[in-house]
Amino acid sequence: MQDWISMPLVGFPLIASIVLLAFVSNTNESMRKRLADPIRMATFVFSLVLLAITTGMFFKYFGNVSWEGISFNNYEFLHRYSWVESLGIHWSVGMDALSFPMVWLTTFLLPVTIIATWNEKNGATYFPILLAMGGALIGVFVSLDLFMFYVFWELTLIPMFFLILIWGGADRKYASQKFFIYTFTASVVMLLGLITLYFFQNPSNPLDYAGSMTGRTFDIPTITQHALMENSDGNWYLGANIQKVLFGMLMLGFLVKLPAVPFHTWLPDAHVQAPTGGSMLLAGVMLKMGAYGMFRLPISLFPHALEYFQLALLIIGMVSLVWGAIVCLGQTNLKKMVAYSSVSHMGVILVGIATMQPMGWAAALFMMFAHGIISPMLFAVCGAFKHHYHSMEIGAMRGMAKHSPWLATSMMFAWMASLGLPLLAGFVAEIMMFIALWHFLAAEGWSVFWMVGPALVLAVTAAYYLWSMQRTIFEGGDETQPPSSLHGGPVPDIANPEKLAMLLLAFFTIVFGVMPWIALDMMHDWTIQIFEGLILPVLGDFNGGA
Amino acid sequence: MSNVSRVEPFGDGFITALCPELMLFAGMLLLILVPNLGKGTFRIPGTQIRLPWLLGGTRFKFSSDPRLPAWIASLTLGGAFLSVLYIFNQGLERVVIVSESGKELLLINGFSRIFELIFFGALALAAFSSMNRLQVKGIGSKVSEHELYNNRRQADFYILMVTCALGMSVVALAQDLFVLFIGLELASFSTYVLVAFLKESKVGVESGMKYFIVGSVASGVGLYGLSMLYLWAGSLQFSVLAATFAVSGTTALPLIGIGFVLVGFGFKVSAAPFHFAAPDAYAGAISPVAGVLATASKAMGMLGLVRMLLIVAAPESSDGSAVWLVCLGAMAAITMTWGNLAALGSDNPKRMLAYSSVAHAGYMLAALTAVGAWNWDAAVAGDASAAAVAVMTALIFHLVVLVAFKLGAFLVLSILESEGGASRLSSLGGLAKREPLLAVAMFIFMISLAGVPPMAGFLSKLLVIMGIVRIAVGDMGAEIADGGIYVLGDMHWVWWLALLMVINSAISVFYYLRVVVVMFFDEPEQGREGPLPGGWQVRVAILACVLTTVLVGVAGDSLIRLCEMAAQSLNYNW
Repeated sequence: MQDWISMPLVGFPLIASIVLLAFVSNTNESMRKRLADPIRMATFVFSLVLLAITTGMFFKYFGNVSWEGISFNNYEFLHRYSWVESLGIHWSVGMDALSFPMVWLTTFLLPVTIIATWNEKNGATYFPILLAMGGALIGVFVSLDLFMFYVFWELTLIPMFFLILIWGGADRKYASQKFFIYTFTASVVMLLGLITLYFFQNPSNPLDYAGSMTGRTFDIPTITQHALMENSDGNWYLGANIQKVLFGMLMLGFLVKLPAVPFHTWLPDAHVQAPTGGSMLLAGVMLKMGAYGMFRLPISLFPHALEYFQLALLIIGMVSLVWGAIVCLGQTNLKKMVAYSSVSHMGVILVGIATMQPMGWAAALFMMFAHGIISPMLFAVCGAFKHHYHSMEIGAMRGMAKHSPWLATSMMFAWMASLGLPLLAGFVAEIMMFIALWHFLAAEGWSVFWMVGPALVLAVTAAYYLWSMQRTIFEGGDETQPPSSLHGGPVPDIANPEKLAMLLLAFFTIVFGVMPWIALDMMHDWTIQIFEGLILPVLGDFNGGA
Repeated sequence: MSNVSRVEPFGDGFITALCPELMLFAGMLLLILVPNLGKGTFRIPGTQIRLPWLLGGTRFKFSSDPRLPAWIASLTLGGAFLSVLYIFNQGLERVVIVSESGKELLLINGFSRIFELIFFGALALAAFSSMNRLQVKGIGSKVSEHELYNNRRQADFYILMVTCALGMSVVALAQDLFVLFIGLELASFSTYVLVAFLKESKVGVESGMKYFIVGSVASGVGLYGLSMLYLWAGSLQFSVLAATFAVSGTTALPLIGIGFVLVGFGFKVSAAPFHFAAPDAYAGAISPVAGVLATASKAMGMLGLVRMLLIVAAPESSDGSAVWLVCLGAMAAITMTWGNLAALGSDNPKRMLAYSSVAHAGYMLAALTAVGAWNWDAAVAGDASAAAVAVMTALIFHLVVLVAFKLGAFLVLSILESEGGASRLSSLGGLAKREPLLAVAMFIFMISLAGVPPMAGFLSKLLVIMGIVRIAVGDMGAEIADGGIYVLGDMHWVWWLALLMVINSAISVFYYLRVVVVMFFDEPEQGREGPLPGGWQVRVAILACVLTTVLVGVAGDSLIRLCEMAAQSLNYNW
């Protein structure tokens, strides 16, 4: 077994980016221009190596791990080193079917992002920062220690902050600070929740991997195991009141990151101002940290509280779903529209979680994955649009099908994928969520009017996507004038690297749309396992079961 | 106190026990003597024989070098720092220095030694980097009158640095109110002069005046409190005071006395509402000195509070909470919130750092409050003394790492200051373009101050929060496992201080990030486009700060253990 293989996945990108940045920062302007090419190549090759490792893991080349049938609270490639021994902090990494798809997604998006933004300015610093972003994101998904998880959780903010601040749009100063403060505020509350949870452990009951000074541990598998034992039927781990409070504190951090209405306002600002590469990673992976965290901590530890807050989560999810979609209708800025559509899709995840059905959770997991491939394509299209037409306004550029067939085609494909066209990845997740919600309503005997929201959203989503396509791709005809921002210059189509990135993203959107079982099998398996290992033993026969 | 050797002044083991302090003393003498060495001679009366006398006359080449005092002071302070480290490495011996009549004067243990580490480290870095801040022209170069004047007063500045260190280390060791006060005043007066050292600048004089007046009033009030304690207990010894307090502590006289002492030390840690002079003093003083005020001087105040509140007015172990608990808790809450809110609105980076240091004082007071609540409920307190040690560890750890990133931030400002002022946020504009590594260093200091992982500031803040939560939660986990039912309100109220602390940390991110944004985003100010003033010393000092900030953040276990050892050796009445 090559258990250690997840260590370089985290460590090497971070170390490599620090080395590259240190190297670059000591050079002058002209030297940096010359260095951009080799550094881009280096980071690109490096990201390909990471992709090769994770793909190798999937095809059992590394470790011979079957990702299906990993039971709840069991992890593959598990590895632990003592970090701060006195507090029970370990460098503890491992993956299960919840985290592995996200790790693969991160390593997949990294080279694609590099390709899509091949000609970004200040390349010598830009590409190492992307690499650092990738390393921090992988760190979030593989860490199995509360402390380490929090460290990587916050570490992702730093490269993203700089991506927005240095390469962002006109209002980048405001957006980057808002992004940082919003998510930081939520995560410090989460941190206090984590610490309170830490001290609610029972040190008289010897814990594995406990700190010598505190007698408690940060180790997630140990805590989860402990919580599972205490969470027996009718008995709440830590007592009802405290479990609810801790659930709320942890969920706050994750809901802001997701983001869910009403904590979503940082997202449109950050997206609109972020550079294409930043947006792609932000929407593709960073938002999923919220959903991932929910599954990993509050849901796994506090299933009683989840049941208690089920209605609240359902309402928040529904509101995000509907609100995000309706706000999209009013947007004239292409990127803002796409950003709000992300809010809407994250609502799907939340509704899927709130159904508390295995299928709903599988839908949430698959949505995390599918949206992770589709939304980078959306933002790549927006980025290309901005890059070539110097405007983000819908309607600034018309008749794109004529001038820029490549961009028009990519846009149409991405838009269609996002609105949930069958045989594309997004559809699978949405239809599963619908079935799960329907199942849940029927089992609970709730009114079918709960379906109105999601159904409405389908129509609204189609409306704003089609409307924007009509205004950019088709309208006009022969007499169409190129946008004034081009100052009468030639109308360019997208460059070759961008074409390649679009093709890759489109290819995988189709692959996971036509053959969703490649990823869905392990996800569905994991949800079955968490229901069998956690939800059913703890909550009993539930919502009509599976 | 077992295995403590008692040593009389100049008795056996005195020199080894007080080696770092004696080094400072020797350094101070050298600072006075060496720059005055010259070719002066002494004529034996009635003869024509002239004996070389070495003082006065034409100075030697090396002794006339104006950089000499800076080097002597840096080496002295650095040597003292290293000797403390060496002592730690060799295994610490606990020594108490007693007077002839058997009164304890100075106590040397892990707790006092680690504070000396803070003082000497901060002052050594400040002295070393002041070489670039108070620049001198070397010998052989043509100097103007102003430069000559600047060259001449070098010795004064560095002597004050060393006396400051000496005073602080006396405070760290003191076991007697009188000794404590002498040390405190020695350190205070040195800092008053250091703050006002730039006497040709209006701001420097004004801030020095303000700091002196407010500081001496605070000292006076503190001294009055000390005298009341003496009146009540009839002794100046900490051990006697603590024993008396345990018997009759809750009468009016000692409580008023402790209250007055709180004012005196509250000024030193710049706790609200005694913090008003701090922003002015920091803004007017040269940056390395401001850094000393924010780190070493604050650590000294915190040390005094620990001695007075935890040793003299020790929390009762029978009913748990200390008498001063609510008072200190309120002070902590107000201090951290006030500091953060005030920092939001300040455009001067030094004032901003001053207010942030007020906020950090609030965090530390919150930790101290938690120690006072260490045994609040016999049912769930659990291993309360271990929990209290954990909070003390966090407090000490925070003070130690604060030296790295707070002083580091001031040193970065010091480079800008020697270029021509760092009193506006825009002075930092374009730093990322002008000197990227410096901007990266400042960025690391800022996020460390804000408490973002994986920097040392995060670990220290985490430890403080963890300590507070641990006290607040106690053994509830075990009780719940045994079937006890608790709600959030069952936790001790210091938990809410932890919540306030994380909310304040979130607020603080805004003003720390603003600095980063200006550095990386804004254009340099008019006339500041060129390269920054040189000087390798300050850059070396900054590098040391950066390395400490990052390395402690990533691998802080050994430092935590050191601080834990120090916290344990603090002899509480438990």
